[in-house]
Amino acid sequence: MKLRDVALVAGKELRETLRDRRTLTVMVLFPLVVYPLVSLLMAQVMASHAARGEARRSRVTVVGPVSVTESVRARLAADKSFAADVLAWDARANTTSDRASVEAGAVDAVVEVTPGAHGATRVRVVWDEARDESRQAHDRVGGALAGALAPGCGPLFTLEDDSVAPRARVGGYVLSKLLPLIVVVMIMLGAFYPAIDITAGERERGTLETILSAPVSRFDLMTGKVIAVATLSTVTGLLNMTSMSLTMVQGIHLVGGAASVTIPWTRAASTLIVVIPAAFLFASVMVAIGAMARSFKEAQTLLTPVYFLCFTPSLIAGLGDWDLAGAAAVVPGVNVTLLARDLILGTATLGRTLVVVASTLACGALALTLAARLYDSERLLAADDGTVGLGAWLRRLLGVGEARAAAPTAANRATPGQALALFGVAFVLMVGVFVPLQKWRLATGLAISQWVGLLGIVVVYARGTGRPLAEVLRVRRVPARAVLGALLVGASAWIVVGVLAQWLVPAPPELEESKRRFVVPADGSRGLVLSLALIALTPAVCEEALFRGAILRGLAAGLPRITAAVITGLLFGLFHLDLWRLLPTAMLGIALSLIALETDSILPSMLAHFTNNACLVILGYLGRDRSVDELGKPAQVAFLGVGLVVVLLGAACLRGTGRKATDL
Amino acid sequence: MSTNEHGVTARHLTKMFGAALAVDDLSFTVARGEIYGLLGPNGAGKTTTLRMLAAILAPTSGSASLAGVDVARDPQAARRQLGFLTGSTGLYARLTGRELLRYFGRLHHMPEDAIAARTALLAGVLDLEGILAKRCEALSTGQRQRLSVARAVLHDPTVLILDEPTVGLDVLASRFLRDFVRAERDRGKAVIFSTHYLAEAELLCDRIGLLHRGRMLAEDTPGGLRARAGDASSLEEAFLRLVAGLTADPEVRP
Repeated sequence: MKLRDVALVAGKELRETLRDRRTLTVMVLFPLVVYPLVSLLMAQVMASHAARGEARRSRVTVVGPVSVTESVRARLAADKSFAADVLAWDARANTTSDRASVEAGAVDAVVEVTPGAHGATRVRVVWDEARDESRQAHDRVGGALAGALAPGCGPLFTLEDDSVAPRARVGGYVLSKLLPLIVVVMIMLGAFYPAIDITAGERERGTLETILSAPVSRFDLMTGKVIAVATLSTVTGLLNMTSMSLTMVQGIHLVGGAASVTIPWTRAASTLIVVIPAAFLFASVMVAIGAMARSFKEAQTLLTPVYFLCFTPSLIAGLGDWDLAGAAAVVPGVNVTLLARDLILGTATLGRTLVVVASTLACGALALTLAARLYDSERLLAADDGTVGLGAWLRRLLGVGEARAAAPTAANRATPGQALALFGVAFVLMVGVFVPLQKWRLATGLAISQWVGLLGIVVVYARGTGRPLAEVLRVRRVPARAVLGALLVGASAWIVVGVLAQWLVPAPPELEESKRRFVVPADGSRGLVLSLALIALTPAVCEEALFRGAILRGLAAGLPRITAAVITGLLFGLFHLDLWRLLPTAMLGIALSLIALETDSILPSMLAHFTNNACLVILGYLGRDRSVDELGKPAQVAFLGVGLVVVLLGAACLRGTGRKATDL
Repeated sequence: MSTNEHGVTARHLTKMFGAALAVDDLSFTVARGEIYGLLGPNGAGKTTTLRMLAAILAPTSGSASLAGVDVARDPQAARRQLGFLTGSTGLYARLTGRELLRYFGRLHHMPEDAIAARTALLAGVLDLEGILAKRCEALSTGQRQRLSVARAVLHDPTVLILDEPTVGLDVLASRFLRDFVRAERDRGKAVIFSTHYLAEAELLCDRIGLLHRGRMLAEDTPGGLRARAGDASSLEEAFLRLVAGLTADPEVRP
């Protein structure tokens, strides 16, 4: 073995691989940015959900003679997890009606109390094994009573179980916990390779041009391809479903529980309603992604994160016991998983089923249209010429006119790639350094993260690219009209954003409370001026420098203005690492980006950001920062209306001021 | 001149990829019963031009028509008039020759009996007897090329675009293919034949368009082109002289 040759080969392979931008993206961006982000957001969803489950009170009826029920009632009443008003007392123990009320869901459990032998009271818990609330009530009753000891050290109560759920419902319950997630994931997996094979594979095998020269429209071509992939993934889904169900039966036999469970085959089969639209959706999405790729390898690289992103909502849906209602019914991935569960449990309604199926098919159709458009892309054919860059291709994809002639690229110009890299660095620092810093000392940590961290990144970036900081940020003098516009937008954006966020993604009250405490510390340790400096001035300078300075300008160098503004806004929202603030911060971020672009200067967006935050701080100190929730609908609508009018006035003032901006 | 007299008409075709100009204001016509050679060095814009004619790429400006059908206005109808064969029109490896021909016949909305009749006819002409039952992945280069030709002409199109059809073929197979193309011309087809082998073009083409950097450098019969380049001994010589003359001209961009 010649080490020199080995090193030579290794060096060349590394160089070549690192020049593949996509490999780099997946290798660096995903582990460092996407995975922490997704798991953090997921944890927030799960935590708030779990908190809601904990806070739920169990509805339990205690029945039996007063002499023996009194001690049980007292113990349950002492436990705050039981709803007091339904700790009803009923002298007659009537097992038939008790079972009926549990089965109907009128109560979560019935506790039948009778005197028992040896001084221990007999407690029979009537519950429904196949209902989560009832299981929770059963566990809570057990927890409240089991540990109690009589003076003679014998147990005070002897507990008995009486589940009202028939075997098939228990089988359905167990199945509903496992099957939906696995089936949805298997459908995705079933679509994965066929989707790559018939798109990128077609190109790689050199048959793309053959089919493109045939008299068939792109849309028909893509529809045919998607149907083929959807068929394959449906079959995969069905095979998995059958195999899973059979395995489950076998498994239960093996552990000896043969008598207790049967599979509700009809209901399991009814999940077909979900399988087909889900297969269509995932097939369309994956074919659309595959159609972007120039090779099998590129398609795999692109699809792996997409697979992960598709998988996450299903995972969240599969793990928690969510209701299929409201937004959950239209979120792709989540809705099909939840509907499959409800179908197995037999709790699905026709209306919700239709909403889920229709929204899934609509998303699928959207992805299909996108796929047809992408397959038409010149990039696929012209890749050999190496002249169609990603930027031009994105512009084409988004339909923003013909690809403009790219300006001559000097080595030190800002690019979208640099912008994304900057975000990556800032994000990693946020997760790894800034968050721990702010945990240690909130105010100090925040100041350091912003002034040293965020501003530092921009300064280092400017030095690294050899450009003056003022040019990177675009610090330019703007006309008075732009200043007025920025003030108006800043003074009203928080109203619009606040009301909309409250309507679309209402944050849990405890989060609102902690935000309030952050603005106005309860111990009065921070005065108004200091709070304004920390919460309004600091982010207005530092966050603007990074997001509306370096990142926005980099993105705008290769993308249309609106796209650059939207992406910057979304990154800004993600940067705050808070699911509940994602939407409001993203909306604010987009507005600030548009201001910076329209005025061709960063100063107005800094001013607007400062004004926005300052309004919130001042309201906090005035004690008038009640959550929007407490206002009532008419007031909310009025506030939103007024806010929108002022925002629009501001926008009118800002319009076209970029042409008059001058260097300082 | 009405477009119907022509198999192919290209009017001021221009194609830009980003800032790069691939085809620059290119106009030419190919009559039915004519073999037109589209020649030029690598990167001259041949492939891009052919793709625009086949409605695979949209021109930045200009237009084209095939057998009188405007390519941009009705790409599907235009493609029905077209047999398209290039170095990058591969075959479906996991289909047999017969399945492949049937698939493309159906895409062209041919009746089943017409597909069967054309397949039988082409199997005789192109010597496909032994290979129609085999999967395409099992075929040799020459067999694949013959099957590709059958795929391109199955629907008996008015216009044939053949880009480097003889690449990778041995002398015999190339000769065979040239004979086939001549026969198609004599049946009244308009043929565009693009190649790097200038000797082959000289043998086959009725007229030749020389492309250079996306522009039409010269257009004439093979003999006419040689004469223009000061009685060059071969087309290759003529081509070299014409290109050299162009680059020596200070008016032309470097």
